[in-house]
Amino acid sequence: MTHFDFRNAPYPIREDIGEAYRAYWDKLSAPGTWWTGEERIAIAQECRNALVCEFCAARKQALSPYNFPGEHTHSGALPGRVVDAAHRVVTDQTRITQAYIDDNAANGLGKGAYVELVGIVVAVLSIDEFHRALGMPVETLPQAQPGAPSGYAPPHLSDDIGFVPTVAPAGAVGDEADLWASGWAPNVVRALSLVPDALREWREIAAVQYLALEKMRGYFKDDTRSINRLQMELVAGRVSAVNECFY
Amino acid sequence: MLRASAQSSETDIDIQGVGGDAASADKGIEFGAELMQFAEALARRDEALLPGARQALSDAAGAAVLVDAAGVAANFQRMVRIADSIGIPYDDTTSELGQQVREDLNLTAFATAQHTEGLAR
Repeated sequence: MTHFDFRNAPYPIREDIGEAYRAYWDKLSAPGTWWTGEERIAIAQECRNALVCEFCAARKQALSPYNFPGEHTHSGALPGRVVDAAHRVVTDQTRITQAYIDDNAANGLGKGAYVELVGIVVAVLSIDEFHRALGMPVETLPQAQPGAPSGYAPPHLSDDIGFVPTVAPAGAVGDEADLWASGWAPNVVRALSLVPDALREWREIAAVQYLALEKMRGYFKDDTRSINRLQMELVAGRVSAVNECFY
Repeated sequence: MLRASAQSSETDIDIQGVGGDAASADKGIEFGAELMQFAEALARRDEALLPGARQALSDAAGAAVLVDAAGVAANFQRMVRIADSIGIPYDDTTSELGQQVREDLNLTAFATAQHTEGLAR
């Protein structure tokens, strides 16, 4: 079956969007750095389950999300900690803490696996949100491809930002030379770099939904878009504000 | 980024549009009110408001604008979760522009301000 066939969509959708989504779906189904293809698709499914999870909805209202009793609505394919992490990223991300990440890491959900999970959850959520925004049903998840995760860890890591190690600003060299240029990158770009492929996937989707990384600081109108930079940043700003995202 | 973009294009805008005020969103930004309300309906997951906001934007600005706005909104549903799930701090806390935006929009009241040293209340 052809995924993301937008020929019958209610609005004319740029071809590059469908192409990028299809490319991501192919990567989603393949073995990643820390998860198999089957596990990656199960994480994607938990991204969707989170949106209808009554436990998540109840916990969101609690003063603290920690030690709140209950069970997630889940598909049964992943350990409880993994399900919980995927659901938190979707429904309660502002209350994720260093202690939560460290506790997971000490109990089987390592930081690399967590970063890859975050990358999967946010990519699938973002693609699903594009569909919801336009009143279209979400795409069927792909079939898993066989194979083992690579276990790759980039060599030049730093603990200077965030809850997990990231590639150092000057560390985008060698196999990571394509991640960013000139020895500096904004923190949101470095965020997923513990799993370089997660960052690459982030960039490829962002390039069609928003802007390519190299255009983000340009503040000019991209001629392939129908909205100018001010319009883009207004939409971006309102979404960020509703989500109470300080960054 | 909105204020920086406005400075770059020498456009007079009202940053309170980001806070949800439709008249402010319209200042200096074509279809600003419709864009802001569409983004808000999506981010709030308000299925009662979203169809109307989508239609209003499409009617005012056309389908191509709607599709590109949907892409940006969907992208930032992701960006905010990357930032918060990884706990990254804001890059430059010293810029005057950033300080003014944080003050105007009361951003340090957000819980995730604690990821940036010295900014949480």
